[in-house]
Amino acid sequence: MSGAIRGGCQCGAIRYAIGGPLFGSHICHCRMCQKAFGNFFAALAGVMKTDLQWIKGAPAYYRSSSIVRRGFCAHCGTPLTFAYDHTAHMNISIGSLDNPSLAKLESQFGLESMLPAFPVLHLLPGSRTEDDISAEDLHRLESRQNPDHD
Amino acid sequence: MVKKGLKYQMSDQKLKTTAQFSGGCQCGAVRFHITGNLGKSGICHCRMCQKAYGSWGAALVSVVAKNLAWTRGKPTEFRSSAIVARGFCKACGTPLYMREDGDENIEISIGSLDEPNRIAPLTEQSGVESRVSWFKGMHLLPEQTTADDRSPEDLAKLKSLQHPDHDTDHWP
Repeated sequence: MSGAIRGGCQCGAIRYAIGGPLFGSHICHCRMCQKAFGNFFAALAGVMKTDLQWIKGAPAYYRSSSIVRRGFCAHCGTPLTFAYDHTAHMNISIGSLDNPSLAKLESQFGLESMLPAFPVLHLLPGSRTEDDISAEDLHRLESRQNPDHD
Repeated sequence: MVKKGLKYQMSDQKLKTTAQFSGGCQCGAVRFHITGNLGKSGICHCRMCQKAYGSWGAALVSVVAKNLAWTRGKPTEFRSSAIVARGFCKACGTPLYMREDGDENIEISIGSLDEPNRIAPLTEQSGVESRVSWFKGMHLLPEQTTADDRSPEDLAKLKSLQHPDHDTDHWP
């Protein structure tokens, strides 16, 4: 799968390649996505199930409802996939892509559970990582995250 | 009667002054309680939080670590850097916290709280060097509710297996 879109979990135990396009990218506020992702909302990109190949390791699955299972890395916890049993497409977590900006967002779902802070998140005062961490800590910090490539 | 009334009043007051929060992972294998107020809330866009949360970044609330008790199961940790551990549920993957070595606070994932809307107003966003391009406009995206998005057939078949947003004696 040369030229494929690639991604994986934080620790690198699981890597995948996507042989086709991303489509239907969206965020989902539903309470199930909030809990699964431990977050305000999930960010997901659609892929055809037949286009996704696990090239290193394989996810563990949790069946979050009778018709859906969610894949994650059992070693580091990164949420990786969301899939209905009966559809030809599935969703990959955008943050797990090596290049998350490849996903072009089209819509937002699960509005019934949208948290009140959501509409103003982008207005919060911002800082860069190096502004927040002391020089001492930056020196001690040694990332163990898999790099954004195979 | 007066005495009894007073006693109840006092216990009500005590409950009001000591805040309690609960939360846990999606499957319910790991549950926690927080006693006392939540600290600052913020979001982090850094590439490490994006990968750990499989998302645009992380939404975290600071809690004094000694105020947090694991009431069911225990999280599994991945050391994402030399100085940071990240906790998650090994059975369903829910990211639960990050903690820097030696820090008296633990940063709890806001989505894992049973009542995530009880956090104080957010004060900051960090790691903006990695902010995804669509973040600033995402609140303007076309909106749908879960019911709009699913066929009546799907909704009839869908039975949530997620742990409810409160403590349970037995689960599942």
